[in-house]
Amino acid sequence: MLEIRSAQKTFYRGQADEKVALDGLNLKLGTGEFGVVIGSNGAGKSSMLNAVSGSLSLDSGQILVNGDDVSGLPVHKRAMRLARVFQDPMKGTAASMTVAENMLLADLRSKKRSLRPGLTNTRIATYRERLSLLGLGLENRLDTRVELLSGGQRQSLSLIMAVGGSPDLLLLDEHTAALDPRTADIVMAATVRAVEQLKLTTLMVTHNMQHAVDFGHRVIMLDAGRVRLEIAGDEKANITVPDLIGHFAVKTDRMLLAS
Amino acid sequence: MDFVQTTFASFISLIPVTLAQSLILGFVVLGIMIPFRMLSFPDLTSEGAFPLGGCVCGVLLAAGASPLTAIAVALIAGFAAGCCTAFIHLRFRIHTLLAGILMMTMLYSVNLRIMGKSNLSVFGAPTVFDWVPFTQPGFPASKIVAVGLLSLAVFVLLNIYFKTERGTAVRAVGANPDMAEAQGINVWAATIGGVGLAGAFSALSGAVMVQSQGFADVNMGLGILINGLAALMIGEAIVGKQSVLRQIAAPFVGAIVYYQLVSLCLAAGMPPPDLKLATGLFVLAMLALPSLRRSRGPAPAREAFRE
Ligand SMILES: Nc1ncnc2c1ncn2[C@@H]1O[C@H](COP(=O)(O)OP(=O)(O)OP(=O)(O)O)[C@@H](O)[C@H]1O
Ligand SMILES: [Mg+2]
Repeated sequence: MLEIRSAQKTFYRGQADEKVALDGLNLKLGTGEFGVVIGSNGAGKSSMLNAVSGSLSLDSGQILVNGDDVSGLPVHKRAMRLARVFQDPMKGTAASMTVAENMLLADLRSKKRSLRPGLTNTRIATYRERLSLLGLGLENRLDTRVELLSGGQRQSLSLIMAVGGSPDLLLLDEHTAALDPRTADIVMAATVRAVEQLKLTTLMVTHNMQHAVDFGHRVIMLDAGRVRLEIAGDEKANITVPDLIGHFAVKTDRMLLAS
Repeated sequence: MDFVQTTFASFISLIPVTLAQSLILGFVVLGIMIPFRMLSFPDLTSEGAFPLGGCVCGVLLAAGASPLTAIAVALIAGFAAGCCTAFIHLRFRIHTLLAGILMMTMLYSVNLRIMGKSNLSVFGAPTVFDWVPFTQPGFPASKIVAVGLLSLAVFVLLNIYFKTERGTAVRAVGANPDMAEAQGINVWAATIGGVGLAGAFSALSGAVMVQSQGFADVNMGLGILINGLAALMIGEAIVGKQSVLRQIAAPFVGAIVYYQLVSLCLAAGMPPPDLKLATGLFVLAMLALPSLRRSRGPAPAREAFRE
């Protein structure tokens, strides 16, 4: 379960180029719930995810994961409970290390690292099995350095790494945006499969309205650092792309009126 | 013909001495490689940690401490120096190279303070080489055996360590710190520990060198860094750096080959003062090679600037 309580973040506070990224944002996501976050550029989507993961420290407000306040914890401590996939395929993997070593790092995310050998035969077998689910042939390239993989392969690997240990919370920030349509579909299908099978509490940012319509239990629209609209239940189940775009248009009108 | 013969004869006669020296200096090269390659933390601390180890060892030997105690304390001092460099970089966001320059400059004063004077003779004090059986103390053979065995042990242990769960995590910090952090790895702890370890190896080298040569000198680290870099590059050119095993073997192999090359140059009549220029040019050439190759190839020359 995730709860964000009145999260506030201003960049360059008090300067001419002051930017409010999060403006008293509140959000509650139940255990096993899959939330899809949409909103225009600069709405604060990435800032929200960064605040949850700890890479962005809030000016005020709280982040609760499964009821525990994690606001004061550094990134590596929060990583015990949450996993994320970045938009940039380069960011989520260690390029100069092998596929198997990357899998190992993710495998140990929520465990205490010991002085025992890392890549054991049992582990390698497990990784091979997990990767084979993708159907990209990565299971045969365990000893390949990740820098030799394509962007799509790297992103698929990032996803498998993220969902591996059944994290309490999965954060996806436009994780298919940098991929070609076919690979994006593969990665998206793998995402949905993992999220449904493992019942992961998930927050996914996307600019793809079709994805927002097709996937997830709830659509969360951000605007100017707060949640403007939430669509869940039957309404979410029956919504269409034009409906969603309509909501965007209403919001834009309101913004025009306000300015 | 005569020239070649005398050159060759004097080179051959120096091989054992040079080998002993290069095995000792292999640890500095290791202390340069670990931050540089394993942690992506280009570091200059070794230039200060090497004489630090030497000075600490010299003072302790002069005070009558056992050679092993002297080495152990030198190791701790070197570790602390490395930790300080890493901390300066992490805490104040100062570039790693600048943090290293600060440390090595400050260490110069520290080293002088430790010794109380700029050099100290410990000739005749007991050394770790005295314990090597079947060899005469003070001759290269005992040094080669003692330091060779130590190198082998360090090589094997590091190889095991960098393949453990924790060692893999340390390498991840060098490969992609953001990713490492997102995988629950404490980047600070890994960086401080890793650079500290490197400082300890540099200091170890200095301490053993003092026991080998019988005196400590605050200036003994002068130019050690560029020599070490040259050795590392030769080592990587010979054994490669594609795997943990190769990367860890490179400093040891590189040191052995590099110092024999230097000895050959000196035997051939190169004036010793020119040595640093030659080494510098060599390192420059090794660093420039990839970009030269690229600009001649099909890739645009612009690529070279982007790095
Ligand atoms: N590191 C930063 N420094 C300064 N301003 C920032 C920083 N990160 C974000 N901002 C600002 O905060 C606001 C929200 O940015 P954020 O990246 O969260 O938007 P987003 O919804 O993810 O947009 P996009 O769809 O383009 O990814 C923007 O106005 C942005 O300029
Ligand atoms: Mg964004």
